[in-house]
Amino acid sequence: MRIDSVIELIGNTPLLRIHPDIHRLHNIDLYAKLELFNPFGSVKDRIAWNIIQPDLDGIRLEERTLIELSSGNTAKALALLGSMHGVSMKTVTNRIKAPEMKRLLLLLGAQIEELPGQSECLDPADTTDPLSQIYRDLSAGDSSYFHTDQYFNPRNTQAHVFGTGAEIVTDLDGQVPDYFIAGVGTSGSSTGTALVLRKYNPDVEVIGIISHKSDFIPGIRNVDEVHEVGLFDPSNYDVIEAVTSAEAIDGMMTLIRRCGVLSGPTGGAAYFGAVRRLRTIDATLAARQTAVFIVCDRVESYLSYLQQRRPELFQEPPRRNSVDVLSRDEITAIPAMGVQEAQGWIEEIQPLVIDLRGPFAFAALHIENSVNIVDELFGELVAGGLPVGSRQPVLLVCPVGEKSRQYAALLARMGHQDARSLDGGVVAWRDAGAPLVGY
Amino acid sequence: MLPSLLLEPALSDRLERFLAQPELLFEMVRAFGAPVNLVFPQRIAENVKAFQQIYDEHHLRGRILYAHKTNRSSALLRELAITSAGVDVASLRELQHALVSGFAPDRIIAGGPKNPEFLWLAACAGIPVNIDSRRELDVLTTMVRAFQIPPVTVTIRLSGFESSGVRIRSKASRFGVPVSQIDAVLDVLEQYRDAVRFDGMGFHLDTVSIPEKVVALTECLRITDRARQRGFDPRGIDIGGGFKANYLKHQSQWEDYTTALHQAVLGKRKPLSWNGQGFGLRNDGGVLAGELNAYSWFDSLTGPAYLDRLLSEEAPGFSRPLGTLLLENMYELDIEPGRALVDQCGLTVTRVLDEWTVGGNQLVRLDMNRDDVTMLDNEVFVDPVILPRRERRDGNTEPVGVYFVGNICLESDFISRRQVFCDQLPEPGDLVAFANTAGYLMDFSANHALQQRIARKIAVVEGDDGAWRWWLDEEYWPFSGRVT
Repeated sequence: MRIDSVIELIGNTPLLRIHPDIHRLHNIDLYAKLELFNPFGSVKDRIAWNIIQPDLDGIRLEERTLIELSSGNTAKALALLGSMHGVSMKTVTNRIKAPEMKRLLLLLGAQIEELPGQSECLDPADTTDPLSQIYRDLSAGDSSYFHTDQYFNPRNTQAHVFGTGAEIVTDLDGQVPDYFIAGVGTSGSSTGTALVLRKYNPDVEVIGIISHKSDFIPGIRNVDEVHEVGLFDPSNYDVIEAVTSAEAIDGMMTLIRRCGVLSGPTGGAAYFGAVRRLRTIDATLAARQTAVFIVCDRVESYLSYLQQRRPELFQEPPRRNSVDVLSRDEITAIPAMGVQEAQGWIEEIQPLVIDLRGPFAFAALHIENSVNIVDELFGELVAGGLPVGSRQPVLLVCPVGEKSRQYAALLARMGHQDARSLDGGVVAWRDAGAPLVGY
Repeated sequence: MLPSLLLEPALSDRLERFLAQPELLFEMVRAFGAPVNLVFPQRIAENVKAFQQIYDEHHLRGRILYAHKTNRSSALLRELAITSAGVDVASLRELQHALVSGFAPDRIIAGGPKNPEFLWLAACAGIPVNIDSRRELDVLTTMVRAFQIPPVTVTIRLSGFESSGVRIRSKASRFGVPVSQIDAVLDVLEQYRDAVRFDGMGFHLDTVSIPEKVVALTECLRITDRARQRGFDPRGIDIGGGFKANYLKHQSQWEDYTTALHQAVLGKRKPLSWNGQGFGLRNDGGVLAGELNAYSWFDSLTGPAYLDRLLSEEAPGFSRPLGTLLLENMYELDIEPGRALVDQCGLTVTRVLDEWTVGGNQLVRLDMNRDDVTMLDNEVFVDPVILPRRERRDGNTEPVGVYFVGNICLESDFISRRQVFCDQLPEPGDLVAFANTAGYLMDFSANHALQQRIARKIAVVEGDDGAWRWWLDEEYWPFSGRVT
């Protein structure tokens, strides 16, 4: 396949039949529309290109900056399409909840602006909701923005009418599925696709997946937030189903581990919502039916999100030489060395003094002739073996004498013969009026 | 019957026990008139302990400074004087109040914008001053030099923090010295060494957002370090307040109510508010616009837990948590909680005067006005507890949505512009108790409009025997009932 631009790869994504052993529906064929196969990794590649393409020459000529309210895939697609054409991009967002996405956007050259949080002493006349902020930016005198406006722009829906919807019908050999399931974010993909499907088969059941109100699934809105979307029209959906983040992750893990589809949580929510809804129908069916759901993006941007909600998915075996494996007895066995005693010991035998604090604090004030190895780095070193000779006397120093005592105990466990800890740490040292040096 | 959309208040066990015996409340309203404000000094001491616990877990030292503007009660302040906490005062009268309530000068800090009288008393009494502007620093120094007052300890309140990478917008603040001018201020502090002793940096952001505070605290650490490099010996960093409080018993009720409000604004259900107002939400041709401009009345990350989270956040550019950075740099941490420190410390109680309907809306008049139980006109999304005067006759026990209105003859004097759903229609003589009002709601905005009374305050203490003892607020001292 020879191409001249990755833009040619937008759309025409595969339709994967999920094996019945996985979803356990007897009378329904379930297909996944794999939007993660778009070149930048999500369904948003379609709308980003469809929105800016007609105006691209003008945007470039007038040196305008793309501006959008997005905390993820739309910003990613716009940033890439923009930079390919020499156009810069700014996204204004409430809070990007996926740190990987944030770093990726910075890597792509996007500017990110996060909006202020709520006031503790609320001003009832406040108007700092995200959309008002964008409009304020747009109407500023020297504004040279092009607002892509994904939540209100009809070109969003249109991208799915001519793309996603039509492709599904073609791939099903001209048949229209009986059920269509998609997460509701901007509602562009569900509305646009549903429009086409209904044209051929008015009886298609359209299921919109939203999140529970107190919960958060990237790319999906909750029951209140959907109403803030200009493109959202409840009459487009036959059923609106709420899915929890736990269920979305369950669905996602099935897609990843059983189907080999590296779906993100949104696709997982659509799969979970689809199967839950279809299971109730499946038993009542006499003839075979077909259902399609959308897998809208990839998992890689959500590792922190998953780590936070499902730490067990990432479980690593405990490290051998780590303070976590120490017993309370091993720690209390380390003799506490007070400031005066430590001063005498330093004077007498000049032990290696290792300060475990961060370099910023060390640079400001530290015990003379001490060495700075920040605790995390020291932990890494120790995990590999003793970082100092076993007979070389060592005095470990931390802020209050807690971590230093743990590491002294760990060194002892590993065979070190004279590792001590400064009791009360550098704080006690300072409080006792003992000398510290710095800048 | 309407589906009831309740917003039941979160009540401490003590308040639950107190409200379970309403006879005392009826007696108080009879004796002192309506409304009355009740404060519970025992709780403020417990709240200080909970914050102190977070300090201990992070091995941090520093001061917990109660933001006096939260509540004017003498009883709460006097009780606080026997805890480890200090007090942050923002006016001459508040400073006087702190001094006569038992706080030594080193447990007080004078904050906010100051007039000369306030600065003068702070300087003379040896109170540390949180400097709000360059000009304030000049005025203070002139006073100290002219009258040979001993050097005054000062902290500098900073504002206008800039983030790197992702631009984190903060609302522009009218307070504090812009970070961009800090070098000039350090120059001045050097010249003023004879008059002021630099004690550290601080900020007080008007936000509950943790990312904004992470940016500010990280910048503060950098700037304090710069001061250290220039030969100052800063003691600590003051991160201000904004620790939040929770008011509601159930998250689901808050979610259901706000969803219903969104639906009502869109016209998809009956209005939930007087004249269909949306509290910031608008119906823009069928699309919801604006944002619900309400305090987060239900919140699961508040007070000490919020502080813990902030201290556990990693400082950008340091790869270390903020708490660890403070600790290893040997900086003390000062905080100025208000609302969070008086959480569950107050009740505001009044009586029902009348009930009637207008255009199908059920109104209930209370003997109080909107300013007696709100702050700066913010709608309160917490249901009051109704204490019936007598058992109801049959047939009058239907749940009903009501608007509480006040005792001022202004069309705008609503206690609740939203509909409050009650188990049964309140009737004249019943008492209505608003929970958890000690933080800003009780007396921040209360006034003498129409020469109506401002509520008397009563300090209530629960004895070990379960008996309730009470004093007029100004007659309560921590030894009351313990020493005779």
